[in-house]
Amino acid sequence: MASGLYAQYAVIVLVVMASVLIVMRSQFPAATRKLRIAMALPLLREGTPAWMKELGRRIAPKPRGGVNACGGCDNCD
Amino acid sequence: MNAAVAAPRIALVGNPNCGKTALFNLLTGSRQKVANYAGVTVERKEGRLHAPSGKHYAVLDLPGAYSLNAASLDEAVTRDLIRGFYPGEAAPDLLVCVVDATNLRLHLRFVLELRALGKPMLVALNMADAAKKRGIDIDVAALQRELGVPVVETVAVRRGGADHLLATLDAVVAHPHAVADALPEGTDVHAETRRLLAATVRMPERTAKIDDALDRWLLHPVFGLSTLAVVMFLIFQAVYAWATPVMDLIEAGTTALGAWAGTMLPAGPLNSLVVEGIIAGLGGVIVFLPQILVLFAFILALEESGYLPRAAFLLDRMMAGAGLSGRSFIPLLSSFACAIPGIMATRSIQDPRDRLATILVAPLMTCSARLPVYALLIGAFIPSREVWAGINLQGLVLFALYMAGIFSALAVSWVMKKWRRDKGEHPLMLELPSYRLPNPRDVLIGLWERALIFLKRVGGIIFALTVLLWVLLSFPAAPVDATMPAIDYSFAGRIGHAMTAVFAPLGFNWQICIALIPGLAAREVAVSSLATVYALSAVDDEAAAQALTPLITNGWSLATGLSLLVWFIYAPQCLATWAAIKRETGSWKTMAMAAGYLFALAYLASFATYHVAVALGGG
Repeated sequence: MASGLYAQYAVIVLVVMASVLIVMRSQFPAATRKLRIAMALPLLREGTPAWMKELGRRIAPKPRGGVNACGGCDNCD
Repeated sequence: MNAAVAAPRIALVGNPNCGKTALFNLLTGSRQKVANYAGVTVERKEGRLHAPSGKHYAVLDLPGAYSLNAASLDEAVTRDLIRGFYPGEAAPDLLVCVVDATNLRLHLRFVLELRALGKPMLVALNMADAAKKRGIDIDVAALQRELGVPVVETVAVRRGGADHLLATLDAVVAHPHAVADALPEGTDVHAETRRLLAATVRMPERTAKIDDALDRWLLHPVFGLSTLAVVMFLIFQAVYAWATPVMDLIEAGTTALGAWAGTMLPAGPLNSLVVEGIIAGLGGVIVFLPQILVLFAFILALEESGYLPRAAFLLDRMMAGAGLSGRSFIPLLSSFACAIPGIMATRSIQDPRDRLATILVAPLMTCSARLPVYALLIGAFIPSREVWAGINLQGLVLFALYMAGIFSALAVSWVMKKWRRDKGEHPLMLELPSYRLPNPRDVLIGLWERALIFLKRVGGIIFALTVLLWVLLSFPAAPVDATMPAIDYSFAGRIGHAMTAVFAPLGFNWQICIALIPGLAAREVAVSSLATVYALSAVDDEAAAQALTPLITNGWSLATGLSLLVWFIYAPQCLATWAAIKRETGSWKTMAMAAGYLFALAYLASFATYHVAVALGGG
């Protein structure tokens, strides 16, 4: 397969992954939140490398808090 | 974050429709929805105010309340938040009680109730300009002296209209006034209000000559209803007459963009994704933006004018006969934009039985997401010709579809009324606001918001679903010895063909069936899905570049087109609406019931439409 075609499929895979994320977040927010927590927790355990912890923090959803946590902008997901 | 917590918290409170949200928008630069009727805000909103003094405040916009004795869910939010009982929220540091200066007789009662709480407070005499225009002379200094709290004039819809408030705010927060005495035990709030009015306000002999004159006609049982019908009818005519030139431009632009992208990208799957998937799909939806904006320009202007509560008053008898409360009108009206805010707005309905009935019929109101579907099918099957005196047939059919949704909702609620034990009706208590000319700034902000909402959907969920559908339509590739078009071997092709077992009796082909699935996320995705399916089914590039409308005109029978139109009047699609019903009722059973009855209605009505149309020669 020509390298150009590989590049096309790579772009398509990225776009499809982004699309899946958009659909999951907009249509199934609660399930997506649970999934993100489940994925982040193992990465944030004691003893995991720093880069994995950083990745875990990025995957983890924002905390759900009232005004005391974030000022109450109502935009927490 | 600490700074945010430390900022003093100001709560805007007051009776419904006194301009709290307009003042909130002016203070915070926010763009929350405003309208000239009660019950627009049903939950608290928060924004940031950067005062000219350099100080920062957190501003809360609370739902309107007539009293601290809450009669509905939204009033309870206000009551609890003011008293500091709202979960996770500290009590505000200052109450800014917003009152309508043209209607002090009603609004001062709530001021007295709030004053009795003994919290730091400031009264904003909003719509001060309208009061002056009507000759209402308010002695602000005397009112301040009598109430024992600072009073300032505001005009929330005018830039600089809150300058007095901002100038007073810093001083009041830094040095709260001495708490005014509550009314002595046994003092009647109404009597005290009358005393305050007598001491501080001089009313003209006729405060609302124009209102009275207009109401004599517009609230007339015959002339008023006829006017309402004519207004609605003209709106749908304008949707077609005014939007067409811009739609043609967008369509030409989309076609040119597709052709350009097709030549720029190398042949292969990425070319197909961009041209036949994304541009064909999104272009098929975005073309309907002008129609949505024309429709909303009218709705926003009517909201601003104060006409809509009159419409609620006119329709109250009809709604009561069908088992709905007059308070259902505003939630149902909101559902024309989207069923979700409509379902949330039912919090202002006090009676749980009326609230449930309203929630269940709200999805039958024609939301803006249905408009692209209707416009596509009307454009394909209904000729654009004048039927009588400049009346366009396509606009007439669109009007009929909206009416079909409304009358179906009344019929469903009437059936629900038959089933329940308590068949009593609840009287409608409605505040009729003064008429006013729509503020162009508010209408433009509203239109901008609608356009942004639509474009965000196009760039978000519609884009994502179009991409996923393209994948399902493109893979797996057809086998070497394929005898059918490649698309028939794809995942989506197989799913669509399997679904025809259920939907063929309605006249739906496999392409329609497959478009119904992503339509579950947002109804207008059905249009982008059809555009993608047909672009990928095309035998050559020229056919793929063709717009969707002529493709379905030639490919479907009239009976199929009508059947799909009727399907979308009732279709239970839109997962977000189901989630809103579950959230507001707290019941999976109610949500399942709503989805089930809507699906059954859609299926039966489409089935009947298709077979009647075939019998009449439309097959």
